[in-house]
Amino acid sequence: MSESAIPAAAAPQRRRRFVPALAAYGGFLPAAVLLGGFFLVPLGIIVVYSFWQVIDYNVVHHWTLDNYRYFFSVAAYVSTMWKTLLVSLVATTLSLGLAFPFAYWLSRYVPRRLRAPLLVLVVVPFWTSYLLRVYSWLTILGEKGVLNRFLQWLGVTHHPIGLFLYDRPAVVLVLVYLYFPFAALTLYSSIERFDWDQLRAAMDLGATPMGAIRRILVPQIRPGIVTAVIFVFIPIIGEYLTPQIVGGTGGVMIGNLVVNFFQAAEYTRGAAVSLLIAAFVLLLLIVFRRSLSAPEAYGG
Amino acid sequence: MAADVGVLSRRGRLARWALSAYALLIYVFLFAPIALLVLFSFNANRYGTFPITGWTLKWYRSAVGNYQIHDALRTTLEVAGEVTAVSVVVGTAAAFPLVRSRLRFRDGIRIGFILPIMIPGLLIGVSLLVLFTGTLHVQLSPQTAVIGQSVYTTPFVILLVSARLQSFDRALERAAADLGANTFQRLLRVVFPLLLPAIVAGALLAFTLSLDEFIITYFLIGTQITLPIYIYTQIKFGITPEVNALASMLVAASLLVLAAAFALPQTMRASRRAVRFGRAWRAARATP
Repeated sequence: MSESAIPAAAAPQRRRRFVPALAAYGGFLPAAVLLGGFFLVPLGIIVVYSFWQVIDYNVVHHWTLDNYRYFFSVAAYVSTMWKTLLVSLVATTLSLGLAFPFAYWLSRYVPRRLRAPLLVLVVVPFWTSYLLRVYSWLTILGEKGVLNRFLQWLGVTHHPIGLFLYDRPAVVLVLVYLYFPFAALTLYSSIERFDWDQLRAAMDLGATPMGAIRRILVPQIRPGIVTAVIFVFIPIIGEYLTPQIVGGTGGVMIGNLVVNFFQAAEYTRGAAVSLLIAAFVLLLLIVFRRSLSAPEAYGG
Repeated sequence: MAADVGVLSRRGRLARWALSAYALLIYVFLFAPIALLVLFSFNANRYGTFPITGWTLKWYRSAVGNYQIHDALRTTLEVAGEVTAVSVVVGTAAAFPLVRSRLRFRDGIRIGFILPIMIPGLLIGVSLLVLFTGTLHVQLSPQTAVIGQSVYTTPFVILLVSARLQSFDRALERAAADLGANTFQRLLRVVFPLLLPAIVAGALLAFTLSLDEFIITYFLIGTQITLPIYIYTQIKFGITPEVNALASMLVAASLLVLAAAFALPQTMRASRRAVRFGRAWRAARATP
């Protein structure tokens, strides 16, 4: 930030006086219109809508808590909410759990010049279409999918098993597949900065390898872990496509409820459910606010 | 670190082998689904899965000849082009004051700017749907989808360009001023060329993100369809080899754009030269 002080000092005094605030802050203007008008304002409208009512397909400006009351009065909705939290928790844990040994391997055992290409290789699937990555699992898990064909070929079963698809385990599997790269990337960037001599020192002093990892490495990369949790958990809790494509009726998540409400033109109820998602996101951000350094998460 | 390789104990070697095998499995896990998709797109069997009954290009021919896909492709490219233009202009403009102005809550503003990335896309989609149809009473169209997607892609451009601006050597601008360049000339001939790699990378990023975006578009585009929405309507009824072919082409397109983005460091060499020049200039000024 010391940079910003230099030009002020170097710029001729005369110019500084005449440069209006517009030149200094005008760059924000388009972004303020776009993100203010089409991001913050709509979110505000959603908040208001969640306290209004729909009567005969018209939104009536009548303040009420009915939308929330309605949601919590239907057992299926409430259980979907809990299941969504469960799925998000399990998928996040699995993503990070799978990514940690990978990031550890990449930063400890891989020669330096190979690290960047191997890391890029992890990120490549991330840049192919999100929809297609979900879809590709249909060809594996589906009734005529690769897995069933393989099992039939092995003679394990003669009839295709419908078990793999259209339920919660399939949703968790695909979510882990989708968000693993993010977890791996975030964990790697913090493990990479770790000084491995500390681990060796701990083991010289009698710590077991696992003990040394748990007590020396993990505490030091905690900010990275928190960032990974946040950036994996948040998109998952608002997932719509994955449960829609591979989840069937058993895998329904809260995002599907939102879409159903909006498609049924029940805007106010949909708004209330969206706000529940936003509330969970906000809660997570508040709990972890100290460890959250957004620029770091994006390498900025 | 790298010195670890070679001086490991027996247990260390075992850990290395076990973890390497594990990493290999991870790569298989990441690439197998996409590889199978491509494999099946060449399979003659019309169920789009095993067994392989012969190799064919007919699914590609039918995908290329499908007029619905033509329409969807045209809409997709139109939307992606507009989204790219909007996010590059808005993002680059915002990066300047974010890095260079005196700001009291710089980190807060920064987090505010990346909020649209952090929040689930579903919320952006439904909240804009309510704004457009409920409040503004605007007809949904590809343009409303452009606005929605831009909300989500612009923060990426802001991040990329502001990171580049942060590492920017202000001495270069002062050197240009010493040589008589006015504000506009400095911007056009010094700042802009140096920022170009980040701007182009941001543009490519916005373009691919737009190409693949589903949920926001799904809510905001109205009766028109983009390729992801076309694919979505098709796979509701299961796997089709034609979609496999279309998917393979899309994956190839994404990877091409990605490769272009990665080729950028080559272009950045010119700016490293400029940085060296800046240092030399400052040194020359320091010594009378």
